[in-house]
Amino acid sequence: MEQYLEAALYIVSVLGALALSLMMPRGRSGVGKIGPLIGVAALGGLWLFLCSSGLWGDRETGLSTPAFIYYYVFSGIAIFSAVRVITHTKPVYAALWFVMVVLASCGLFLVLSAQFMAFAVVIIYGGAILVTYMFVIMLATQSTPDGHSGQIYDRVAKDPVMASAAGFLLLAVLLSVAFDYDQIKDIRMDAAKRQSDAALIESTLGNRPLAEQAVYKMNEAGEAVKVDAPEPPANLDPTRLANAERVGLDLFMSHPLGLELAGVILLISLIGAIVIAKKKVPDEGAVISR
Amino acid sequence: MPLTEIDSLTLSHFLLTGAVLFCLGLIGFISRRNLIIMFLCTEMMFQGVAISLIAFSRFHMNDTGQTFVIFVLTIAAAEAALALGLVVLLFRRKHTLDALVWSKLKDV
Repeated sequence: MEQYLEAALYIVSVLGALALSLMMPRGRSGVGKIGPLIGVAALGGLWLFLCSSGLWGDRETGLSTPAFIYYYVFSGIAIFSAVRVITHTKPVYAALWFVMVVLASCGLFLVLSAQFMAFAVVIIYGGAILVTYMFVIMLATQSTPDGHSGQIYDRVAKDPVMASAAGFLLLAVLLSVAFDYDQIKDIRMDAAKRQSDAALIESTLGNRPLAEQAVYKMNEAGEAVKVDAPEPPANLDPTRLANAERVGLDLFMSHPLGLELAGVILLISLIGAIVIAKKKVPDEGAVISR
Repeated sequence: MPLTEIDSLTLSHFLLTGAVLFCLGLIGFISRRNLIIMFLCTEMMFQGVAISLIAFSRFHMNDTGQTFVIFVLTIAAAEAALALGLVVLLFRRKHTLDALVWSKLKDV
C-alpha cells in the first residue's frame, strides 16, 4: 500500500504540474479547457487517495465526523483559490482570490481549534494587508493598449513550464516526507503531552479575578454606586484556559525576546517604508513591455 | 472540540494543504511578471507555512506553533509595507510593473 502511495503522489504531482502549466496565462486563448480538467483530475485523485482506508493502520477514515468534511471543503477552496491567484490575468481579481485563500485557511485554523489565530489572520491579512495591496494596484495602473484586456505582462507568463516543473518537484518531495508513515505514526494528539490548564493557572494566574469583580455605575446624582456584578456565563469553566489565553501565556512567557525583536522589526519597516516613499526618483519614461 | 473528533484527520492532511499552498505560491513567484502578483504569491507561501505551523501546534499539543504564526504575521506585514513601497518606487521610475524590465540588473 505504501509504495503505491509514493507512486500516486508523484503521478498526481506530474498531473498537477501539467495542468498548471496549461492554465498559466499565455496571451492567447485556446488550451482553455484542458488545463482545469487535468487539474480537477489530479486534485480528485489525491483526495481519493487520502480517503483510502487501511493506509493509516488502525485508524478509520471517519468520513462522518464534521472535522473531516470541513477539512476537505476548506482545503479545496484554498487550493482552487490559490490556483486562481496565480493564473488570473487581472491583478485586482488575483488579490480578491487571495482573500478567499486567507478565509479558507482560517477555516482550517478553526478546524485545528486555533480560534485566536484564525481571527487575527482574517483581520491582519484580509483586512490590513489586502487593502494595502488594493491601494497599490490602484495607484500603479497603466492605461491598457487598445484591443487588449490588461497589460502584456499580466497576459503572458514567464517560463510557466519550468516553474510548474520546479514547484511540483518540490511538492512531490515534500509530500513523500509528509506521508511517510514511519515518521508520522508517533505524532498523535495525546492529551497527556499538553501542559495542563490547572498547572498553568496555578503557576502564572494565581490571582486571576474570576467572578468577584465590583461593578460601578453612575446614578442620576453623579455618584458611583456599586451594583451586582453580572453573572458569569454558565459555560465558563474557571479551571480551563481559552485558546487565546494559552497563546498569550506562551507568547509572553516563552518568547519575550522574540516579541521585542518583532517590535523592532515593525519599527524598522515603518521607518523604511517612509524613507522609500519620500525618495525622489528620476522619471525614465514609459517602457513598453514585449 | 473533543480530541477524538479530529482523530481521523492526520497531520499529513494539513501538511499537504500547507505544502500545496507553498508550492503554488512559489510557482506564481517564479512565473508571473507583475511585481504586485509576485509579492502576493510570497504572502501565499506565508499562508502555507502558517497552516503547517498551526497543524504542528495542534498535533503536538504545544502552543508555540501558534505563537510562531504571530511572528510570521509580523514579518509578513513588514514585508508587505516595504515591498509595496519599493513597487511604487519602481513604478514611478518606468511606469510599468513588468519584472522583466528590470532584468538589466542581472549579471549577464
